[in-house]
Amino acid sequence: MSTKIIAKKDISGWLKGLAGKYEIIAPVTEDGVTRFSRLSRDPAEAGKPVSDYSAIDLGPTPARMGLREQFTPVTETLFEYEVSGQSAELKDVEHPTKDRLIFGARACDAAALRYVDAVYSNAEPRDTLYFDRREHTALVGVFCNQPDWSCFCTEVGDFLTKPIMMDAYLTDIGDKYYAEALTPKGEELLSSPEFQAATDADKQATEKIRTEVAGQLPKPVDHAAKSVSYDWEHPIWVKLAEKCLGCGACAFLCPTCHCFDMMERAHGSKGSRYRCWDTCQFEKFTLMGAGHNPRPSKTERTRQRVFHKFKYSPERYEMLGCVGCGRCIAACPVNIDIREVVHELEEKAPEKVGA
Amino acid sequence: MENELRQKAKELLESGQAKTVIGYEAGTAPFKSAPCFAQTPDDAQRLVWNPMCVNNLAVYLPSAVKQGKVAVVVKPCDAKSVVELLKEHQIERGDVTVISVPCPGVLNLDALAEIDLRDVRSVEWRDGGIAVKTESGEVVIPSEKAFAEKCLSCELGNPEIADIKLGEQPARQPIQSEKMSLEEYQKLSPPERRAFWGRQFAKCIRCYACRQACPGCYCAECFVDKPGQMWVMRATDPNTNWFFHMTRAMHTAGRCIGCGECERACPMGIPLSLLNMKLDEDVEEMFDYEAGGDAEALPALASYEAKDPDPCPE
Repeated sequence: MSTKIIAKKDISGWLKGLAGKYEIIAPVTEDGVTRFSRLSRDPAEAGKPVSDYSAIDLGPTPARMGLREQFTPVTETLFEYEVSGQSAELKDVEHPTKDRLIFGARACDAAALRYVDAVYSNAEPRDTLYFDRREHTALVGVFCNQPDWSCFCTEVGDFLTKPIMMDAYLTDIGDKYYAEALTPKGEELLSSPEFQAATDADKQATEKIRTEVAGQLPKPVDHAAKSVSYDWEHPIWVKLAEKCLGCGACAFLCPTCHCFDMMERAHGSKGSRYRCWDTCQFEKFTLMGAGHNPRPSKTERTRQRVFHKFKYSPERYEMLGCVGCGRCIAACPVNIDIREVVHELEEKAPEKVGA
Repeated sequence: MENELRQKAKELLESGQAKTVIGYEAGTAPFKSAPCFAQTPDDAQRLVWNPMCVNNLAVYLPSAVKQGKVAVVVKPCDAKSVVELLKEHQIERGDVTVISVPCPGVLNLDALAEIDLRDVRSVEWRDGGIAVKTESGEVVIPSEKAFAEKCLSCELGNPEIADIKLGEQPARQPIQSEKMSLEEYQKLSPPERRAFWGRQFAKCIRCYACRQACPGCYCAECFVDKPGQMWVMRATDPNTNWFFHMTRAMHTAGRCIGCGECERACPMGIPLSLLNMKLDEDVEEMFDYEAGGDAEALPALASYEAKDPDPCPE
């Protein structure tokens, strides 16, 4: 696959050139918070200005929210209905999917898609709304030259230096990016005139920064194997429950979280059904119709979060449910740090567990 | 200061005056602290008091007192929460020992945005600002940049509610903030305010972190969580986001003490304390009542006096 370079000053030109074919989505900072936003408009959306690509913010801190809302909006209407007498008419809601290019994702954000793909295709029916968006999305990632204090992706995977689920990967080597095509789509994206062939010097500069950064990050740990012996009754759950506010920020910012609720907006005989993000951290998440709640306190709910990410996911999908992006750590108002929780669970665990 | 705090906590635990001392302990990074629930003298040794002690620990009181008597470490702002919780009968006076600590101002983590946080070794108060030691040296950030928004306008003195006072609250001079102040907000016309909040609420993902972080939001079942009644949709449609925030603002009107935890918890950066403080100012104007001030004053919206403003014309 091709390796090229593009001058930083040419990024806007490159994206503008693609804006006719793709809706451009990239991280933009507003009021101090960076979030992936639509930067260009479909030419068919008359009257709307094409945005300023210089507003793209590639860090060092990654976007507050990952890519989840690009594939599953926080709220998504599923269908409309009208009841008359004993029958109801259902009307599909149009979900037009244009081709999109998401630029500036991190390796962790992209890697999370592998997990969410597995969850949403786990059983029939497949989540067609999610996969429709996935199929219409090209993804160009950027390497993290300066990881955040809360980053630990290298502990849970090697995708920082061996990216997955993206079409091209850019590495900042000064006044230009070293660009690697990872798929045929990536080749196509990097065929724009703004890209030139990379030299050996470019390649070496890239390898240097990537090795340097990876060396600053934690060593890999086989959490999946160790999670077999996580203690359900560990005292840490009670400790976490004491300080956890149940605010849900961890889950709402998490790139692998995927739970949603389904509700209706009803107005007399008409309405629509929608789905919206939900989290196991909410008290009523597991509240049953008859009144029983198997996770009645934060003890159960904090345990659920960690077990789901580190234990149930490897059991079910043969991959961890955590990409080490550290957003939960940075967002938590009471400094619950999942790295510490997992390390404590593993320190007290016996060294070997049966086959 | 910290030694005295730990000693007092130890005494409270050993004498049985408190089953739990709720304070702060070192966090998982040098620029973080975390709530600490000390139940043994050993636990008490972990208590700290530093610029990272941002949390309003009063949020834990309504549930903590159900487990037994507690002591709680408060800054002057947090103490106001204790006053309001007492007024609203969420805690009994005899169940809570209030330990006040002198507060020059707490850290606004955004002030360290230019620093690679991985390099930070320590964060301390220094000469009216905050000194950050990193791998490469030390940088002193002046208070107007270093302190949380709420600290800049703070003129609070020693909390009257304190049972144990670990030092005199330093006299503070209000400092002008760079962010939009309440004054500037009040200059906006109604259509401008509508546009402002419309833009802010569009960011809302309805995670309810604001509600969970708020010591005033202790309802066993929040209006948004009633499964059978659906006062407000869970959808993040613009109108439902408005409804949630406006209703929560009305529910906390005149009860908010300005700790800013709602805004700090909000993952999407919505300036919620501006909304709550605006309503507090309205309540102060209309009812001459300030939350967390006079421990004897009845809450404005839970009491009637003949001099209350009458919106209905004669």
